[in-house]
Amino acid sequence: MSETVIRVANVSKVYGTGEAAATALSEISLDVERGSWVAVMGPSGHGKSTLLQIMGGLDRPTRGQVYLHGIELTTLGSAQLAQTRARAIGFVFQSFNLLPHLTALENIQLALWFGGKGDEKGHAQAMALLDSVGLAEKAHLCPGALSGGQQQRVAVARALANDPDILLMDEPTGNLDSAAEAELLALLGRLHEQGRTIVMVTHNPAVAGRARRVVRVRDGRIEGDRVNGS
Amino acid sequence: MNLGKLVWRNLLRRKGRFAFTLGGVAVGMAAFVSLLTIGQGLDREIKKQAQGLGANLVVTPKGWCAYEQISVLTGEQLPEAIPMSEIDKIMAVPGVKTAVPYLNEKTAFRNRPVPVIGILPEEMRALQKWQIAAGRYFKAADEPAVVVGAAIAKQFQLKPGDSFTVRGHPLPIIGVLREAGNKDDVATFMPLPVVQKLYEVEGKVSFAAVQVDDLQQVDAVSLRIQEKANVAVVTDKQLLSSILSIVGMVSGAMQAVAAVGVLAAAFGIVNTLLTAVYERRREIGIMQAVGSTRRTLFAAFLLESGLYGLLGGILGVLVGMLGAYVLGPYLTDNAFTASLRQSPVPSLDGATLLLTFGLSIGLALAAGLYPAWRATKLSPVEAMRYV
Ligand SMILES: Nc1ncnc2c1ncn2[C@@H]1O[C@H](COP(=O)(O)OP(=O)(O)OP(=O)(O)O)[C@@H](O)[C@H]1O
Ligand SMILES: [Mg+2]
Repeated sequence: MSETVIRVANVSKVYGTGEAAATALSEISLDVERGSWVAVMGPSGHGKSTLLQIMGGLDRPTRGQVYLHGIELTTLGSAQLAQTRARAIGFVFQSFNLLPHLTALENIQLALWFGGKGDEKGHAQAMALLDSVGLAEKAHLCPGALSGGQQQRVAVARALANDPDILLMDEPTGNLDSAAEAELLALLGRLHEQGRTIVMVTHNPAVAGRARRVVRVRDGRIEGDRVNGS
Repeated sequence: MNLGKLVWRNLLRRKGRFAFTLGGVAVGMAAFVSLLTIGQGLDREIKKQAQGLGANLVVTPKGWCAYEQISVLTGEQLPEAIPMSEIDKIMAVPGVKTAVPYLNEKTAFRNRPVPVIGILPEEMRALQKWQIAAGRYFKAADEPAVVVGAAIAKQFQLKPGDSFTVRGHPLPIIGVLREAGNKDDVATFMPLPVVQKLYEVEGKVSFAAVQVDDLQQVDAVSLRIQEKANVAVVTDKQLLSSILSIVGMVSGAMQAVAAVGVLAAAFGIVNTLLTAVYERRREIGIMQAVGSTRRTLFAAFLLESGLYGLLGGILGVLVGMLGAYVLGPYLTDNAFTASLRQSPVPSLDGATLLLTFGLSIGLALAAGLYPAWRATKLSPVEAMRYV
């Protein structure tokens, strides 16, 4: 029996109105099972990021619904949605996604604070998270002093801070060299083995190859959906 | 992590901008505080001088305005206008205990202006309870000699036996008064007839301080004096309040100007924070993705602006009080406010301090409202899309 973490049901997204209206997603439906590792691929500008943002409650669909564990995100108010993002969802973006004036440790503590864990508990837990991505000794460095790959691992640690139901990543390896990419993929592999649910957008077929399922998006629709290796 | 830590880090990110914005607030507050301090010092000093006058009623020529009334307290030169004969009439009025005349003149001694006050030696000594610190007091009511106030003696290093020249006439200094903490410290005294002769105003005085037998009867005695003699009479309380109201108007106007400076500094905060919102829009998006509510974002920017108010207020109070201490004597070096020279230590009372910080923090918070609101209006997706 597999359990659905996120269900996207007939979601459309139109940016702008009137003449300038641009349809980014049209009637898209997608279920993500607990423990799955999904890669979203597709040509540039065809709605992959939009889909990820709507799944994570960072943006609202024009039509259709998004359910997280059966709760309809589209009915939540902005404060509830922020709480959901803090506790149930972990985001990782392509680049520049740490706050530059906070140390690696503090970036993680920030997420813990949003999730309701203040200073005392936060410190030890943030250290443990950094340790789990192999960066304990870089805890007190600001992002500017870290390599791209290290920054991305801090971002992953931050995404994991509040033990979310799902990790949503938009081209997490897009700015990394091949060594850093391999390191990050190894980390994601371990998380997958631990039972984490991961959805990641990528252009890179090799990266997508590591996922268990590949969804192809074109013109705001799902063009293909297959399980790797089958 | 907590809000305070986050805000503090944000505040110090752009050190130069932080310093200049804070400097604006501090300068505005410093001007406000120093003028407030000077105004309050003036107020205190005038009240103290009014007590030092030791009179229930002040008899002046008719038609004096408040400017001249202030001089009663400061010992400045006055247009001599009441004939002594009127003073004699006043002394005869029932209910009058004493009427002590003053003739306020001025001389230059070693190129510095010094008040010369003609008095009736015995009456004055009784009224003011003067003590002699060195030398002796007048032996006769027309002795051509000088008794100097403590501050004057110190300023010019005068002692009994020295000579004091008035209008070309050298007079011996016979005594130095013990420090009284009022205008008597910064004046020189001579018997009335001596001053009248030196200044060629025989038979005239500037004003008189009247003590009554029964304080309950002050108003009745005042009316009786005005019936009998051709003079104006004010009670010490009227004198004080009319002087204070003028001083209050002047310092109020100065403070209003300073408040405009504080307001300008508040616009500086708006500018700095709007720039910060713009610069950090991507971070604001990231914070929202990580789970920040709009309320937290709003609170963070509001706290940041509030800190400009708090820190600027603290700096402003320190600099302002220092400024009042250093500049006060110069700003107030005129007949209108001369008495402040004797009060070198400015101080703010608790209520004023609270008002000052209230103004500073309140304005800063108001300045933060619009930038904070702008921050919450950023959509996270938009914020992150455009680097
Ligand atoms: N805020 C917006 N306003 C208007 N149009 C937008 C906005 N955001 C996205 N779009 C448009 O929606 C479409 C989908 O954009 P999206 O970013 O989801 O594509 P993508 O598949 O992630 O592309 P890429 O691979 O280049 O990141 C694009 O045509 C884009 O121009
Ligand atoms: Mg994209």
